[in-house]
Amino acid sequence: MSTPDSPQDNPFCKSKETHKSKENAIRALFIIATYIILISAAFIFGDIIAKGAPVLMSKGWSFIFKKPQTLNVVEVEKADNIEIPEKNFDSLIRSNAKHSDIFNNIKEVQRQHQVTTFSLSSGSIIGEGYLKNLEKQNPGFYLRYDQRDLNSEVAFTIESDKNITLRGPEFAALKELDPELIPADTETKERNLSKFQVTIAAGEYPIGKAAHDALVPTKLIFQMRQTFADDEPDKINQVIIPSTQTITVEASVFFAAFDEDERGTLPITEQKDIPNKVDFNSFALKAGSYSVTPQVLAILEKHGAASLHNTTLGSIVFNNEEALTLSTPSDEFDILKKANPGLLISDVSQRDVSTTFINFSLSKDAELRLDIDDYEAITLSNKESGNFKALSEKTHSYSGGGILGPIAGTALLVAICMIVALSTGIATSVYLNEYAAKGKFISTVRLAMLNLAGVPSIVFGLFGLGLFVILAPTFTSQPNIESKLIIPIAPLASDIGAREVENKKVYVAEESLSTSEVRDLAAANGSTRFYDGWNYISFQGWGTCMLAGGFTLAIMVLPVIITSCEESLSAVPMGFREASLALGASKWQSIRTAVLPYAFPGILTASILGITRVAGETAPIMFTAAVAERSDLPWQGINSTGLDAFVNFLQQSVQALPYHIYTVAGRIPQSEYTEPMQYGSVLVFMMIVMTFAGFSVWLRIRIRNKIKW
Amino acid sequence: MSTLTATAPSAFHKGTTVDVESNLSTSPITMETTPTSTPVNQSMIEIDDVSFSYDLGKTNTLRNISVDIPEKQVTAFIGPSGCGKSTLLRCINRMNDLVETSCVTNGEIRIMGQDINAKNVSAIELRKQVGMVFQKYNPFPKSIYDNVAYGLRIQGIKDKSTLDESVERALKGAALWDEVKDRLKDSALGLSGGQQQRLCIARTTAVRPKVILMDEPCSALDPIATAKVEELITELRQDFTIVIVTHSMQQASRISNNTAFFYLGELIEYDSTEKIFSNPSVKQTEDYISGRFG
Repeated sequence: MSTPDSPQDNPFCKSKETHKSKENAIRALFIIATYIILISAAFIFGDIIAKGAPVLMSKGWSFIFKKPQTLNVVEVEKADNIEIPEKNFDSLIRSNAKHSDIFNNIKEVQRQHQVTTFSLSSGSIIGEGYLKNLEKQNPGFYLRYDQRDLNSEVAFTIESDKNITLRGPEFAALKELDPELIPADTETKERNLSKFQVTIAAGEYPIGKAAHDALVPTKLIFQMRQTFADDEPDKINQVIIPSTQTITVEASVFFAAFDEDERGTLPITEQKDIPNKVDFNSFALKAGSYSVTPQVLAILEKHGAASLHNTTLGSIVFNNEEALTLSTPSDEFDILKKANPGLLISDVSQRDVSTTFINFSLSKDAELRLDIDDYEAITLSNKESGNFKALSEKTHSYSGGGILGPIAGTALLVAICMIVALSTGIATSVYLNEYAAKGKFISTVRLAMLNLAGVPSIVFGLFGLGLFVILAPTFTSQPNIESKLIIPIAPLASDIGAREVENKKVYVAEESLSTSEVRDLAAANGSTRFYDGWNYISFQGWGTCMLAGGFTLAIMVLPVIITSCEESLSAVPMGFREASLALGASKWQSIRTAVLPYAFPGILTASILGITRVAGETAPIMFTAAVAERSDLPWQGINSTGLDAFVNFLQQSVQALPYHIYTVAGRIPQSEYTEPMQYGSVLVFMMIVMTFAGFSVWLRIRIRNKIKW
Repeated sequence: MSTLTATAPSAFHKGTTVDVESNLSTSPITMETTPTSTPVNQSMIEIDDVSFSYDLGKTNTLRNISVDIPEKQVTAFIGPSGCGKSTLLRCINRMNDLVETSCVTNGEIRIMGQDINAKNVSAIELRKQVGMVFQKYNPFPKSIYDNVAYGLRIQGIKDKSTLDESVERALKGAALWDEVKDRLKDSALGLSGGQQQRLCIARTTAVRPKVILMDEPCSALDPIATAKVEELITELRQDFTIVIVTHSMQQASRISNNTAFFYLGELIEYDSTEKIFSNPSVKQTEDYISGRFG
């Protein structure tokens, strides 16, 4: 026998060595490529988990159940007997877990304070700020109001006699509005308030934010190299003055923008004073409470009359049928009563309430992180003792609290999107797959859909902006001036404001009555006619709101949903349809009973994957739905009832998780305080999305095991 | 038959609801004398000079076919693949409507004297009377009970006792009752192939059609299952008019009363099965039967 290696004897002998090494090299290349992906994924996820998990651990559930807040970073002097309400203490410790050892002598103390309970009858009129306070003090109380009153009396209190100085026109206005308020002994002085004529040479200069803000309303033509963000008061940017200009400015602008001693002001080449005489009227306002019109208060507010009234929108009218029983700390009750002459208060009773406070000492000076509500609580409870001394204080927006707002917003956006996308998507795919004749139309539709799936999401955002935010039709009785098209559709029998009474035979309807009700009332009143305005369809868009965002996301995800629904439908064997039809089922019966149930698992998986995709989209909601800052949750702050409330609910902008991450990570100045929020948000977001994806896989396996053929 | 034209045409008019209750109440086991080998019964289906096209008349898949199918007998369509026998079968309950471009280009198909392609005939009502069993057994992935009750539920019957009764009768009629009576709620897909096909037959008979079309019902079954289905078909012809497409010569000779031989879209010969298999009048038939081609 010859050697087995010789090619003559062994037809399967190994080929040359070079081949083997080439094979191995290619194999290694593929392995490396695979591992690079794996390692990068592991690195990124590891980083997010490593940095995000401690945030979740330290913040606990509050990270999910709290709204985003401003974080106050306060340097505090060491002190004993600092007090903080019990509910805020836990959050304080959690936020400062790093140096928890400085909190010593922790003990509970009970503090008594008097609370007044009272009833508010319907028809009461209250200032907006006072209502907010009441809502804060009465958990669960939330007033849905739909009426404001701009003419009712408001009151304010002045603690001690006060000299008020008003310029001529302002004084004249006040005098006309409320002549009794102004005492006879007014003093009129003429003062010279110089204006300055300055000349600025062309060139490029550094400029501070204060100077910039002062120059914006003037006639100076300038161009900024960079823009100022709201939270960068100390930054210096470059400004370009394109040509040498001469402008006249008031003293305040002059000192803000051209004062040579200040940093970040503009140099001037020439300066001239222009005399400018102004009348000043001074009078004394005695200490005490004053009941005035909102217009008067608006003027006086600029000169130190403190109140919580909203003088531009007016006071709020209670329309509750039942009287409300509320309670408030007794000292605040007096203020409330004095400031709101329109309140109809009855059943006043007082009782003592004890609240648990935590008393602790700080063993050394420390830098504490406090969410804004904890900060307010601790400053308030130590106001008298003065034990909580802040040496310095910095605020960091979005760095405190949690991410409840964005989670809620994203959930709502996804819900709207999926309702829209699934109903249209399933209908479309059933039509394409079951009804439509194969032909040019169908292939065109399919091609369009494939193309649509490839469109960048920012384009969908712009599309949504154009279509839903500024063009979509809406029902209204008072169309916007910017509306593109107004179509009257139905008579409306309410809304007094839109009517003009022609003669006394016309009955003017109350608000919120139906046409038939108004007709009956008009007849009962002996009037022959009643006012019937119109409801319109107005193409004025929905505004930046979650409805627009949901629809935009729906359009973006539709191609994906339709394609996968179609796949699920065509995966259902033809035999089912034939068997069903052969038994005398109509087309729709056979689709409903023999096709859709078996396509359901696929459709379900597609929609859940759609949800995960939609939840993560930032670009389409940037223009259509998302806001960075919002202090209340979507279901708070709706002041109407019934269908209106639902429409108003849908027509609000919301915070959304991906946009929130973008804001925290990219749009505000980065610091060690914002970082935990970024990683925490990303980790929570990832967990939500992965839960959904996992759920979809589990569901598919479950249903597929149950229904198979 | 001219006598039928007067009495029956309204059976599948659009919008008429067939009285399923009365259909159901007719007993399935109305024993008759054993079927004779010659067509003496009235004709149930009259296929009169029918041409059919799948592409809007450009080419005719079936050409000028005329067959009279007698009531309560088994009629077999035989022929090599692609000869159009299945197409003709699917014309009888208008399953070809599913193909957009198909049309009957010539002639009439009359069932109980009514032209089924007439404008005022509803395919849905027609199919309630002309059921079909397919080559590949296709029970729904539901329970055995739900499968049989499917057709009845489609027709709007919700009453539990009526459904129970009909399901039991249909399963007994399909000789499946004893095998499945303890697991009616189990998935139909757990049955063997032969059982599944008999279940499909039960599903079809449950709605009490007049005619059952069978498109190679045994081609996916093993010999033992085939024997059971054949036995069932012989039973069923006492109550239903059955048209069966088959590739198996032996099957045709065993179960059918009449046989039609098709070749390349044309009807070559139609006569009693006995005659076709013993003494065919056309040479092509003889060649095919004796296995010389096809």
